[in-house]
Amino acid sequence: MSVQNKISQQFPTAQIEEKSDRLIVSINAELLREMAVMLYNDKELRFDFMRSLTGMDWGEAGFGVVYHLESTEDIKRQLELKVVIPDRENPFIDTVSDLWKTALLNEREVYDYFGVIFIGHPDMRRLYLRSEWKGFPLRKDYVRAEGLDMTNEEPDDSTVTWYRDKNGVPRSRRYNLFESGEYVVNIGPQHPATHGVLRFRVSLEGEFLKKLDVHCGYIHRGVEKLCESMTYQQTISLTDRLDYLSSLQNRHALCMCVEKAMGLELSDRIQYIRTIMDELQRINSHLLFFATFCMDLGALTSFFYGFRDREKILDILEETTGGRLTMHYNVIGGVEEDIHPNFVKRVKELLAYLPYALEEYRKVFTENIIAKNRLIGVGHLSREDAISFGATGPTGRGSNWACDVRKRIPYGVYDKVDFKEIVRSECDSYARYLIRMDEIKESMRIIETLIDNIPEGNYREKTKAVIRVPEGSYYTAVEASRGEFGVYLESRGDKSPYRLKFRSTGLPLIAGIDTISRGEKIADLIAIGASLDYVVPDIDR
Amino acid sequence: MFDFSIVTSSIHAWLSEYLSQGLAIFVECVAVGIGILALYAIIAIIMIYMERKVCAAFQCRIGPVRVGPFGLFQLIADVIKMLIKEIIIISHSDKFLYNLAPYVVIVGSVLAFACLPISQGLEILDFNIGVFFFLAVSSIGVIGILLAGWSSNNKFSLIGAMRSGSQMISYELSIGLSVLTVVALAGTMQFSEIVAMQSSGWLLFKGHIPAVIAFVVYLIAANAECNRGPFDLPEAESELTAGFHTEYSGMHFGLFYVAEFVNLFIVSAFAATVFLGGWMPFHVSGLDGFNRIMDYIPGALWFFGKSFFLVWVLMWIKWTFPRLRVDQILQLEWKYLVPIGLVNLSIMALCAVFGWHF
Amino acid sequence: MENKKTYLGKIASAIESLATGMGITGKEFFTPKVTECYPENRDTLYIFDRFKGVLEMPHDENGNSKCIACGMCQTVCPNDAIVVDSEMVEDEASGKKKKQLVKYEYDLGSCMYCNLCVEICPTDAIRFNTGFENAVFDRSLLNMTLHVAKAGTAKKEETSVLADKPEALEKKEKPDQK
Repeated sequence: MSVQNKISQQFPTAQIEEKSDRLIVSINAELLREMAVMLYNDKELRFDFMRSLTGMDWGEAGFGVVYHLESTEDIKRQLELKVVIPDRENPFIDTVSDLWKTALLNEREVYDYFGVIFIGHPDMRRLYLRSEWKGFPLRKDYVRAEGLDMTNEEPDDSTVTWYRDKNGVPRSRRYNLFESGEYVVNIGPQHPATHGVLRFRVSLEGEFLKKLDVHCGYIHRGVEKLCESMTYQQTISLTDRLDYLSSLQNRHALCMCVEKAMGLELSDRIQYIRTIMDELQRINSHLLFFATFCMDLGALTSFFYGFRDREKILDILEETTGGRLTMHYNVIGGVEEDIHPNFVKRVKELLAYLPYALEEYRKVFTENIIAKNRLIGVGHLSREDAISFGATGPTGRGSNWACDVRKRIPYGVYDKVDFKEIVRSECDSYARYLIRMDEIKESMRIIETLIDNIPEGNYREKTKAVIRVPEGSYYTAVEASRGEFGVYLESRGDKSPYRLKFRSTGLPLIAGIDTISRGEKIADLIAIGASLDYVVPDIDR
Repeated sequence: MFDFSIVTSSIHAWLSEYLSQGLAIFVECVAVGIGILALYAIIAIIMIYMERKVCAAFQCRIGPVRVGPFGLFQLIADVIKMLIKEIIIISHSDKFLYNLAPYVVIVGSVLAFACLPISQGLEILDFNIGVFFFLAVSSIGVIGILLAGWSSNNKFSLIGAMRSGSQMISYELSIGLSVLTVVALAGTMQFSEIVAMQSSGWLLFKGHIPAVIAFVVYLIAANAECNRGPFDLPEAESELTAGFHTEYSGMHFGLFYVAEFVNLFIVSAFAATVFLGGWMPFHVSGLDGFNRIMDYIPGALWFFGKSFFLVWVLMWIKWTFPRLRVDQILQLEWKYLVPIGLVNLSIMALCAVFGWHF
Repeated sequence: MENKKTYLGKIASAIESLATGMGITGKEFFTPKVTECYPENRDTLYIFDRFKGVLEMPHDENGNSKCIACGMCQTVCPNDAIVVDSEMVEDEASGKKKKQLVKYEYDLGSCMYCNLCVEICPTDAIRFNTGFENAVFDRSLLNMTLHVAKAGTAKKEETSVLADKPEALEKKEKPDQK
């Protein structure tokens, strides 16, 4: 029985629309719980991977939540579940965080942005904004309160959870996250090992970790809100600032999303250039990962080796794109400028050099007995948890989950090149580390195949000055350096998006960090955090 | 070989002419005290400069170059900066202990420093249980670190201090065992005698295999004792920001900093003295001509040369390896170094008894 | 016996791995360093010509730029970093009314180098140069005036604003250096 039939049989009221790449199912909020349980548990459906969870404000129609589901058993099974919450005054919806754990933080994000309350969610705090923020900024009728609150935020370890009483009326209950006698240590927001302003509240028992509570939002910039008032050309420049180590890939995702929506055909040359650039960026990111990973484990010298070699890639990227970190290279309809005449030569030099560097890394760090002891068996993330948290990228592949978007839903010219998806089954920090090291080699192979065969053609297709995307909703994903980076775009045919959501690569990793590190030591938490390789601006957006 | 005791005894004789015996000794003590503190400070400065340059070289960098030739005056700038910085006292700290802690650390360090024979006749504390005294005073530092961590009223500091306590007390054992191995070979605990008996060859070569093992064990344990990487858990910056001295500023932090670097020098100098002959030139028995040439190089040069070489080796270790975890540090000590040390000590005892050494 | 062998074997393999690592760093100790001594190497420093440093408006020898004051760059800028001040002037020859640039202001501090303004410019009047030494002690110095109309046409109060801030004018010249 097809997915479509099964759903319509069980839920006759559900509106089903079939698209080429996915099924769109729209239901009302009351049905969500029942539907979610069926989608998750049914043996023939088994939508176990939640790609993205997006809050929506559909104006008169009420609020909404859009779930993008996929089955890891069959890549063809893609579902977009649109849930409408008609009551704008009391927007309640049931949680699905017990089924898909990635919803734990994503639902908090929706609450933060739209004020939608998820009944049954264990921890209904704001995620990014401070607790005393007035109003919900992504609501279309939001008016910013006058003046800025410049007082210090009061430390508060209590949280709210909502439940239904026996009459079905939602009620709230407040409880404390940490007991008064617990030894709670703040790791961050200013801490050398959090790679930015991320804050963990960690409850310790001696050296051991009892519990971990993540606080995000220290560099929340409201990118999604900003995008709603920008033209499409303007929004793409913000993507570079999400995960700044995958800036080209992020931009690739948004450009691709808009191009697909507009039905724009790109020349092969553009696809080749984009693919090569994405892979250069991946090597760049993984080298930086190596550097910071070593630094977090106390090997400062390896840190410098990583940076020394990353510099060479940055030079190549700078020569063509004009930027080192935020490159502003992909544009809607192509790339900003053709590759620099020196590009091919320099890339070849790099490819010749990198194996020596990798050999050096192997000798100085990978094979080192101390590093091995610190990493092997530390930070176990099971395959089920990885899928449930949606921890894609090298983290997911380290947990034996083949989740590479390049293989799952090929884009660019990834379907034309031969490369291996590195998957390991150890599920520990060392596996996550080794995968990135091996991925550098795979990326080198991809570039090697492509670099000599860049076809002639336009490097930029002509587009109108004002871009309007046809009405509808679009989801596109790329494999960014640390996982699936998705763009969900809902357009109403205006020159700016109605809603633009970025599926963060880091948020699922952060959601899982409590599960991964519980019972480990403080030093392991640092190693685990480093092996997950999150980038804070990408989490906070 | 120039014997420095000629200078000291002539000074003593000269002072005794003008002053009474007691006063002369008092004046000498003051002079020696000032001298040793000055030397301590100079070594601290050299060590900090060396650390920067050596670490830079390992990391494909060139280190400080801006202030003065080769960045030499960077140190002076640093010292001035450290001296004029405000000492911030945390409001909820235990103020007495908080202020006391850096001095405890520095006192332990200076006392240990005083034991080292720099050249022939140039030794300050030299008595028949010198090695024992050295081990005793060098472990005073851990009290200071514990005090610092406890009194700062900071959770990171406390964890750092606790780590440091367990680590330093454990590694005391290995240091003791490896030193005991050498003492078993040398048959004395007096530094001057240990050095003197190395005139026919350094103990590292004399005691062959067990001495080499003891030397390696000592270097590992001493590195851990100094809280240097890869054993820098008490101040693991990626975990505990700065560990036990998180809350210290100005010269109080400076004292910890200086003590850490000089401790590194002290353990290297101790290893140089006990295993590599201290100020004793490199002698090969039988080659008298060669030995005489070696004797022309002053003892102090030999001493500092060997010490700084070992410092360099320890820096090399620090700047190569990742940090261990706290349980692994203890595991390394109790499951590897202590058993090895014990077995090694018995082997050395056999060697000493049966004369299986050179 | 088996146990003892693994115990010693462990030690041996550990020492081997540590020695390999030390071999690498030891080799690195003696290899030439990669540090770039900026600013000593300023003369030899090569900046890629596509590097986006500071927005500039090239002028010909008469002090005229290609800018037609259409204001597209101001509209397209996501961060409102550009302010185009224009006035309507009657062309003496043809008698037609025409927009003319009075002042072109650019805030480097808000610029995120997205290149949209350069792309949209119909006359290629602006471009990014490769100047990268943009650090200043006062944020107001980042507000640059790329073009100011010649004395005859400029409004009075605006010239006086500039006169108060001679650094701002100075800064205008500065980006030309490499």
